[in-house]
Amino acid sequence: MVYKDNREFIEALEKAGELVTIEQEVDWELEAGAIVRKVCEEKGPSPLMNKIKDYPGHRYLGAPLANYRKLALSMGMDADSSIPQIAAEYLKRTNSAPIKPVIVPKEEAPCKENIIIGKDADLFTLPGPMVHDGDGGRYLATWHFVVTKDPDNGDVNWGMYRQMVYDHKTMTGPLLPFSDGGKVFHGKYKPRGEAMPFATVIGPDPLSAIAASAPSPIPETEFTGMLMQQPVSLVPCETVDLEVPAFAEIVIEGEILPDVSLEEGPFGEYTGYRTSPRDLRAVYRIKAITHRHNPITTISNMGIPTDEGQLLRSFSLSLEMEKLLRSQGIPVTGVYMLPESTHHLVVVGVKAIYTNIAAQIAQTVFGSKLGPWFHMVLVVDDKTDIYNVDEVIHALCTRCHPINGIHIYQGVGTPLYPFLSAAERIKSVGPKVLFDCTFPLDWDPFSEVPSLVSFKNVYPKEIQDKILANWEKYGFKSR
Amino acid sequence: MFNYDVFVNSLAELPEEKEVQLALRDLAAGTHKYCYKNVSALVSADQDKYDHKLQIRFGRGQVHELPYSIKILKTVERIPERWL
Repeated sequence: MVYKDNREFIEALEKAGELVTIEQEVDWELEAGAIVRKVCEEKGPSPLMNKIKDYPGHRYLGAPLANYRKLALSMGMDADSSIPQIAAEYLKRTNSAPIKPVIVPKEEAPCKENIIIGKDADLFTLPGPMVHDGDGGRYLATWHFVVTKDPDNGDVNWGMYRQMVYDHKTMTGPLLPFSDGGKVFHGKYKPRGEAMPFATVIGPDPLSAIAASAPSPIPETEFTGMLMQQPVSLVPCETVDLEVPAFAEIVIEGEILPDVSLEEGPFGEYTGYRTSPRDLRAVYRIKAITHRHNPITTISNMGIPTDEGQLLRSFSLSLEMEKLLRSQGIPVTGVYMLPESTHHLVVVGVKAIYTNIAAQIAQTVFGSKLGPWFHMVLVVDDKTDIYNVDEVIHALCTRCHPINGIHIYQGVGTPLYPFLSAAERIKSVGPKVLFDCTFPLDWDPFSEVPSLVSFKNVYPKEIQDKILANWEKYGFKSR
Repeated sequence: MFNYDVFVNSLAELPEEKEVQLALRDLAAGTHKYCYKNVSALVSADQDKYDHKLQIRFGRGQVHELPYSIKILKTVERIPERWL
């Protein structure tokens, strides 16, 4: 099952008990944001808010993908699928051949049901929510993506870069130089004094959103097709040479200006803090707004875990890391990033066939394109269940030698790391740490390596099978 | 009831009786609330000195407990004309 838009996905969420429809009026100023925040902290169902103060006809969908059940549904899987099952399906689809998008005519694109161009295009006609008290402004774009194009080779990028409404015609937001969109803007358009055309897609279908947040080297337009297992339908914009998903809810078109920056932030961020202070950031000047009838603005509320940014970024970062490590011939058994770590801690399972393999893993992933987004690597052996937090913490606390097993590296980081000093943030400093939780290979397995005491490890298989077969008969509940 | 607010890193950015350029947010209720306005203005820590009430916020959104007042002298366009 592929959902061509959020409306079909909303029906699936409702059937799975992952949607709450709110019919009473909700205020765009803090109330909607607070509802979504509480939902994230409780890992609850997504709120569909059908009546927004001051904005008749508009609706909000909050926390559309903020738990694994919703992620499974978005992939057309059973909501109760396990994380390894979802990961296996994601890897299967994203290791297949890229699927190019198709261009559909305007008449077949619901995002063109309302077209507002020029002076009538006003950002305050859209219900940008004040997500957190103390934010620098109304954040219209929190679960969305920004479409841009390389001026030289035509490569298209979809990236989730937050955008704050500044005035009727202007949005502002960070465009970090090491992001894909930032590289093209800071490396090409800006030095040439040219404005970079953009299209902000709000309320995309769930798989387009997942593709936009994934750090894959495959173009997002084709990556979406791989996730969907069919081409994504795109339609040309009205005022810029870009294409956007035809079934998106709202599209804002315009240009990112090369020679001016304006205030943006602060904003509650994915780390669970407001780390980066208000600063001068990129300026998005708008030319057109198109939207569906009764459009649904998607809201993600970044803060303490778990929001969809944390969950999906953790999910896709770890699986791209797994692909990278396997491509280097490193015998990993799995890679999992805990969403609760705000995608800062990755757990790598490996069959340790040579000494110091953990250091090779850490250096490979820290030095890759994925490196700036996380700073902790924890390597465990192939017998540890990387998805089981209890087992991972046990491995960390019992197998990682405090002097020999912890390795510190200097690297590239984001200015959003809460633990960095202000000076370090400016310089993109990113300290990294490896926790090697594997026993040294030169230890004698009989006289030196401690033996794990667990149900799986210290009982004969026939005893384990007997216990498991009789578990409910004993009076326990199976989990 | 405040008319505007402004974010500063330090109160030193708001000298008394000296014209300063500020990016204000309009706090009037309605759909345009929080629209930014770039102005040249006079500000005062005396909340009654000028007609409009100004709320101060610091760099990460924290509210300063004391209200200021502001007199807007003129609006300032910071976006180069060729993009307008």
